[in-house]
Amino acid sequence: MSKVLLELKDLTIKFGGVTALNGVNLKIHEGEILALIGPNGAGKTTVFNVVTGVYQPTSGEVLLHGKSLKGVKRFNITKMGIARTFQNIRLFGDMTALENVITGTDVHKKSGLLGGLFGLPRARREEQAGRDKAHQILEFIGIDEYSDRLARNLPYGVQRRLEIARALGTEPKLIMLDEPAAGFNPAEKVELAKTIKKIRDAGYTVLLIEHDMSLIMGISDRVAVLDFGQKIADDLPTVVQNDQRVIEAYLGVPSDAS
Amino acid sequence: MKFLSVFKDLNLRDKGAEFWENSSPTKRKVIATSLVGLAALLPFMGVGILDTPVSDYGAVLVYPVGMFILMALGLNIVVGKSGLLDLGYVAFFAIGAYTMAILGTHTSLNTWEIMPIGIALAMLAGFILGLPALRLRGDYLAIVTLGFGEIVRISALNTKAIGGPNGIANIPVPPSIGPIKFNLNDQKAYFWVVLIMILLTIWMIRRLSVRRAGRAWEAIRQDEDVAELMGVNTLRYKLWSFSLGAAIGGAAGVLYGSKTLFIAPEMFTLNVSILILACVVFGGMGNIWGVMVGAAILAYLPERIRFISDARLFVFGLALVITMNFRPDGILPRKKREKVIVKKVSN
Ligand SMILES: Nc1ncnc2c1ncn2[C@@H]1O[C@H](COP(=O)(O)OP(=O)(O)O)[C@@H](O)[C@H]1O
Ligand SMILES: [Mg+2]
Repeated sequence: MSKVLLELKDLTIKFGGVTALNGVNLKIHEGEILALIGPNGAGKTTVFNVVTGVYQPTSGEVLLHGKSLKGVKRFNITKMGIARTFQNIRLFGDMTALENVITGTDVHKKSGLLGGLFGLPRARREEQAGRDKAHQILEFIGIDEYSDRLARNLPYGVQRRLEIARALGTEPKLIMLDEPAAGFNPAEKVELAKTIKKIRDAGYTVLLIEHDMSLIMGISDRVAVLDFGQKIADDLPTVVQNDQRVIEAYLGVPSDAS
Repeated sequence: MKFLSVFKDLNLRDKGAEFWENSSPTKRKVIATSLVGLAALLPFMGVGILDTPVSDYGAVLVYPVGMFILMALGLNIVVGKSGLLDLGYVAFFAIGAYTMAILGTHTSLNTWEIMPIGIALAMLAGFILGLPALRLRGDYLAIVTLGFGEIVRISALNTKAIGGPNGIANIPVPPSIGPIKFNLNDQKAYFWVVLIMILLTIWMIRRLSVRRAGRAWEAIRQDEDVAELMGVNTLRYKLWSFSLGAAIGGAAGVLYGSKTLFIAPEMFTLNVSILILACVVFGGMGNIWGVMVGAAILAYLPERIRFISDARLFVFGLALVITMNFRPDGILPRKKREKVIVKKVSN
């Protein structure tokens, strides 16, 4: 098996009385598409929030390449190779699509404010490189024709894709997609599935939160299931699909009723 | 009421931007040069409607008009570009002015030598205030900066060594630059210095806006959490924003000190911060042209109508309220337009 990229170790997080994650262990391997599923409120988005440093876990830790992310600043976590999208679209609406992606590429630039102000050679080079790279990514995601449009004026589906493009702009090793197909019709879902595969084939590792089973079965290498903050399954899609506990979690039947 | 609705929908900002984008480089150069030239000639245009019957027109151009524009541009970096509500901007103006006053009266340094010191000190103050304060959000930041503005003024008021409530008098005027002399009876030279400072500020802001720093500020303004998650070191760029704004306020302060020849704490009240903020909001937050127009109007109008003395502030306030009612985003709001989509031709 390939190398472990990200590992959640005994991760627990409590919000007051709510235990959003309860002793979750999860490994994400390089180059795979891992789907994270579970009923609403199961703790999926919370996993993203803990990994990206939005919340500090109550106990347990997150390891990237075996190194703990404890206390690492959020922008540094991004710089180290983890990028994400948001369940509720959170683009920079007053920027163009292109600027949104360039903002992502800025994370690896060495020149700062003064270099940009005085037009130093390195700053100019990096600016141009970022712009080219952003266009490439928009092209790759299939929305380059919208590059000069303000993000908030874009059609819904394009906005969802732009979120992915912006995340790719940061050149992540792991890209985490939070319900990227929400609100999509079946045809759009098929398109998106292709895009996600393409992203994986380009060398990225993908952690995907999704509800649509057929989409997940089609593209994921592995499926992990959360229910009430606990991992109740973690296996190949076909195995998880027939797991009794998973079916119960989705149907809302208590497990001791069987 | 037709006129009013036209006024409401008029999008000069986008029209102007479109016109600029469609102009050839030579045309742009001609326009820019003539605008700057026209501005430089403003001190000679104090006749007829432009004149300020009661106040000295030439002096009004320097202060408040020129300096308000300069400070509004500085505050706009903080409030308009980065979305950080700073209610204590006057503090940096005061630091610049006091630096000029103290060094000008106690050392042999002249205004031009004191200028970089004043700017550096204001920047440093911005940095020191920002380091803890910029970890706060929204209203809390506003309150802390408001407090800072007051602390600076009250400290000056209570420090005997810098004159306390009596302030500092006999501040020297700037030494002449070649044939251009600085003279309070004819303030053209001051105006040209302010103009140069304004041009430098415009250059800086325009440059940074399309670079990493400008994107970082824009991202922070729109969604600070997402900015951070997309890799923006938000604290660093907020500090830059704050310090650059402070630097411009400080620069304005140094020149102000060297022009009024006398300063006292009572000149640096909260009112000044509010007024500069009003310029930014009135003109159009985040858009330098709007901010400049706003500052020019808010600085000039009260002087222009000074002859109605008592009703002056009332008329001024009324004009402000009416305008904001019809143009809540300011006279020239930030970019709304989109560039025409140019479809890529694949080969
Ligand atoms: N910041 C927060 N404060 C309090 N409770 C939270 C917070 N974030 C998430 N939760 C709770 O944690 C649980 C998991 O939420 P979430 O991870 O968003 O679920 P989902 O699997 O639908 O993405 C929910 O019960 C939610 O109410
Ligand atoms: Mg969720």
